[in-house]
Amino acid sequence: MSAPAGTERPAARGNWVDWLERRINLTQLFSLITHFGLVYTPIDTSRPIREVLRELSQQKVPTYAQWPRVLGVLAGILFVVEVVTGSLLAFYYRPTPEEAYASTRTIVRDLPFGWFIHQVHAWGAWSLIVVVLVRVARLFWDGLYRAPRELLWLSGVALAVLVLKADFTGRLLAWDTHSYWTLVRGLEVVLAIPLVGPIVDFVIGGSIVNEDMLVRFYILHIMILPVAYIAFLYVTFGTQRRVGLGQPAGGGPGGTTTLRRHLYSLLILTVLAFGIMVSLSVLAPLPFHAQADPYTTVVGLGPPWYLLAPYAISEGTPIPGWVAGLVTFVVAIGVLLLPFWWRGGADEAAQRRARIGGIALLVVWAALSVLGWFVDRGAS
Amino acid sequence: MIRRPGLRRAAAGLILLAAASGAVLAGRAGAQPGVSRPQTVGPAGVGVSSGRCGVCHPAQRAEFEGSRHAREQVRCISCHGGNDDTLEQARAHGGDFRGRIAKRAEPAVCAKCHSDERMMRPYNLPVDQHALYQTSGHGRLLAQGNERVAVCSDCHGAHGILPPSDPASRVFRTNIPQTCGGCHADSVRVGKNVFDPYVSSVHGRELLDHANPRAPHCVSCHGAHGAAPPDVGDVDKVCGQCHTAERRYFMAGPHADALGRGGLSECASCHGDHAVQVSPPAWLSTVCTGCHAEDSGERALGERLWTSYQAAAADLEEARQLIERADRIPIATDDYKARLEQARTYVNEALTAAHSIDEATVSGFTARARSVGTEIQSEIYAKLGNLNLRRLLLIVFWFYLILTVLVLRRFRDASRTA
Repeated sequence: MSAPAGTERPAARGNWVDWLERRINLTQLFSLITHFGLVYTPIDTSRPIREVLRELSQQKVPTYAQWPRVLGVLAGILFVVEVVTGSLLAFYYRPTPEEAYASTRTIVRDLPFGWFIHQVHAWGAWSLIVVVLVRVARLFWDGLYRAPRELLWLSGVALAVLVLKADFTGRLLAWDTHSYWTLVRGLEVVLAIPLVGPIVDFVIGGSIVNEDMLVRFYILHIMILPVAYIAFLYVTFGTQRRVGLGQPAGGGPGGTTTLRRHLYSLLILTVLAFGIMVSLSVLAPLPFHAQADPYTTVVGLGPPWYLLAPYAISEGTPIPGWVAGLVTFVVAIGVLLLPFWWRGGADEAAQRRARIGGIALLVVWAALSVLGWFVDRGAS
Repeated sequence: MIRRPGLRRAAAGLILLAAASGAVLAGRAGAQPGVSRPQTVGPAGVGVSSGRCGVCHPAQRAEFEGSRHAREQVRCISCHGGNDDTLEQARAHGGDFRGRIAKRAEPAVCAKCHSDERMMRPYNLPVDQHALYQTSGHGRLLAQGNERVAVCSDCHGAHGILPPSDPASRVFRTNIPQTCGGCHADSVRVGKNVFDPYVSSVHGRELLDHANPRAPHCVSCHGAHGAAPPDVGDVDKVCGQCHTAERRYFMAGPHADALGRGGLSECASCHGDHAVQVSPPAWLSTVCTGCHAEDSGERALGERLWTSYQAAAADLEEARQLIERADRIPIATDDYKARLEQARTYVNEALTAAHSIDEATVSGFTARARSVGTEIQSEIYAKLGNLNLRRLLLIVFWFYLILTVLVLRRFRDASRTA
């Protein structure tokens, strides 16, 4: 190289960002995360990263760190918490009936901070369930399922279903008596659903909870469901970029802020969410149960709480199980495809009618769940 | 390489030789007298052991062919006399023919073989049954001319006799109560029904419901051929066969002599006999009043034993609950469980030692149990205390968390003005 010293020196003085910039297109790498909705503007990948970032940080963006749009961000943040803690748990977990319980006990009892990781994972799961369900309720309340936001609704419901499925599969992994029998009851409900039941039956290989099912649930829990979750998270961001943000009913446009400020707000949110997870884990640790015994039925254990309503219909009433399954199926499909059959307009009256219908459904569901809770306890 | 064909030839020769000698040995074994051949039944229904008797007595033959005796070349004529090689009744029922064996004569008929040491030696069977029988309640009554008592065939059966090791045998362990109960369940016939109390007792339930091989049946306490109720003064020895520790403590205590002087049955005075049940620990204070006055010193002693036992049991129960609580956290409790098990044996030993009515002995065991129990408790409480430390650390954690949030807010708000 015989370039003049003057042109060479500024580059040599530059820090590691410049060093990297000369070897890889950082802007191109950065543009990857724009797909997930953090940055809305298309990025000119031929420009240097510093320039792009400087410009972007001053760009006006709508804020997500505010109710009610915070729910979507929380669904992302808590998912990251679950992925990090779940990966740490997987370092020690062994998915066989012989070792599942012992390895879980080793994690929570013998390993330094194993209990902490496990509790944060458990409480994170509970929080995530609450967040995605409240988010579905919020989307419904504000009428965000109407055209052109059908995909927002579909992916919102899909995220909720995926989180519940992750909970359903994750329950079994500890292989304790509580999780085992809760799952057996839950499977009875799921397998009774027409169309879905036979598919689930085929995928997980029957209704016998054994070593095969444990491995399948494990793969579903750590691979398939998280990947599907990321996919629907992407659909959520993608459709929002095309159709614009959902505004609260009757409210003006959401507050706007700069990207830099927004990222700090997200960081604060993450820290606070982590703090709440830690506090729950220390103050209200979830109990650790005895090892599962497939030959000893635990009396008084129903299915997971989100399956209590169909369970109440099939077990608490003389109605046969397939009717309960059919009702569950119709309601689930109806909720999922809400934008395609609900013909109500955007006017006040239609909105009110939809809300009343939703509340009525919620009340019936809650009442059935309470009934389902007492099915086993009353019988014992 | 060169020697290999030779080796092969030698090996083939050896194999041939072995096969040939095996065949010769097998042939000789077949011809050897005394080695039983497979049972064959002739076309005319003539069994090997029943001879031709079975032609006219098919029911008895069928029963007999299944018995142990039929496999050992015992024949009908061995007991009944006569000839079994003819169908001519006069000849068959002639000679030393005995017909139906009289009840009084029966023990002697069986003893003809079973008291013969030389005949019984190959089976490793005792030869004293007849002698024992004559000392038994049954034998003595029979000698007095009472023909309603049990003789050999009443317990063992007549034609279809099976060894006691055969589960189909009437004298197999779990069938013995039923066999004895054939007479002894009838209070009119033998004066007292002992079958029903036994079946309802802890011994009976262990034997019949749980197939516990260590549970005692009639013979365990009364003997078999020499069956008789144990005398007062011997009851402790009978029960002590299994309950060795209880007997040891009992004999060391004041009750052993006192009961003997009063002509009272040792163990049975408190525990009963055939209907014996598991004694609840509360008996420590309540059972005394069977003999002692309510306000007596003995009753007070019993009360103290009971209190001492209760305190130990309560300590262990509390330790158990703490272990359960620790398991749900979870804290490692394997060591505590092992120690708790040890402490439980102390408490059980205290109940056993209570047969000595010696306060020092009993409280020695309860004190040891309590010390282990409280030790476990204090150690678990210490570990639970460590959990509280986590809560304290949470305050520190939140302090730094809020600090972080404030710093982040500062950065955020600074960026707006920038």
